[in-house]
Amino acid sequence: MISLTEELTLLAVEDDGRIAYTAGSPNFAMALVGACIVDLNKAGRVDADLNGLNVLSHEPIGLPAQDRVLEVIAAGPVQTTERWVLELQGDSPDLVRMTLAQLQKRGILHQAEKRFLWALRARRYPIDDGGKEQKEAKLRILAALLSDGLPTPDDSMLIGLAVAGGLLEAFLSKSEIARLAERIAEIGGLDLVVRGVEAAIRADAEVRAHAIMLSIH
Amino acid sequence: MNVTHDTNNRTTTIHAAGRLDFEAAGAFQKDLEQAVADAAAGGHALVLDCAALDYVSSAGLRVFLVGARAAKASSVPFAVYSLTAAVKEVFDVSGFGRIIDVLADRAGALEKVGRSA
Repeated sequence: MISLTEELTLLAVEDDGRIAYTAGSPNFAMALVGACIVDLNKAGRVDADLNGLNVLSHEPIGLPAQDRVLEVIAAGPVQTTERWVLELQGDSPDLVRMTLAQLQKRGILHQAEKRFLWALRARRYPIDDGGKEQKEAKLRILAALLSDGLPTPDDSMLIGLAVAGGLLEAFLSKSEIARLAERIAEIGGLDLVVRGVEAAIRADAEVRAHAIMLSIH
Repeated sequence: MNVTHDTNNRTTTIHAAGRLDFEAAGAFQKDLEQAVADAAAGGHALVLDCAALDYVSSAGLRVFLVGARAAKASSVPFAVYSLTAAVKEVFDVSGFGRIIDVLADRAGALEKVGRSA
């Protein structure tokens, strides 16, 4: 089974192997950091409460992106998940690269250089396993949203982070998302780490809006 | 963390006390899943007394979702009651109140699961 961080990254890979523009957004960056923290939580390296993210063990889990996040958190002060997500969002490009490399190592996708306009090169990540893992992640999200049962914790966290990172738009239309909004709010992100990511996104948006207002005056 | 069970009037009560953190979550999850299976087999309701549960972390919180999901899937009436202020805050922040019946006291929980106090 692949990690939540890998699932979230896979959702950002488009059918032609391009990484969706969404993956360059601050919201995706913060959702990805959150996914790393959730993976570390599930592996017993950290645990979160409303006061902070506590390190339980410094031992790496063998997944480079998550271990990078663990290294930084273990070296820092005890502070809230929201604070860590805000601080680590700048590391997102590296975390994405490490996760894509991990997915290549698992044989789920490969890296390819494509040329366009004869000269410009673009890196793509075509999916190799017939899209099994990516389809499975999308199907799990849809099944949880369309059923009236309770989700598994993994599905709830995947939905919460996919919504936070703006990834639902990759496979659901705006009208479908609007139709499912109530169900998404009910079952998505039933977790303290995911709520920390959402709080970080709100705080980040406020800072950006404030900066824009200052530039106007 | 300390967990005890009792069964009266076709209702199993789980009394959870102490800290529900990563260390305690695995054992508590097994306990809760077994209690749901037993309640389903016996046609019992299941209520979770949290009056002495003074701490829940992110890892611990997931156990409530696993338990509530198993109960719903097995058609076992399930409710949680007497949350301490600290645990209630965790439920409020995480949104668990929207998916799990959380009652102020035992009488309310028993009424919710269709059993008289």
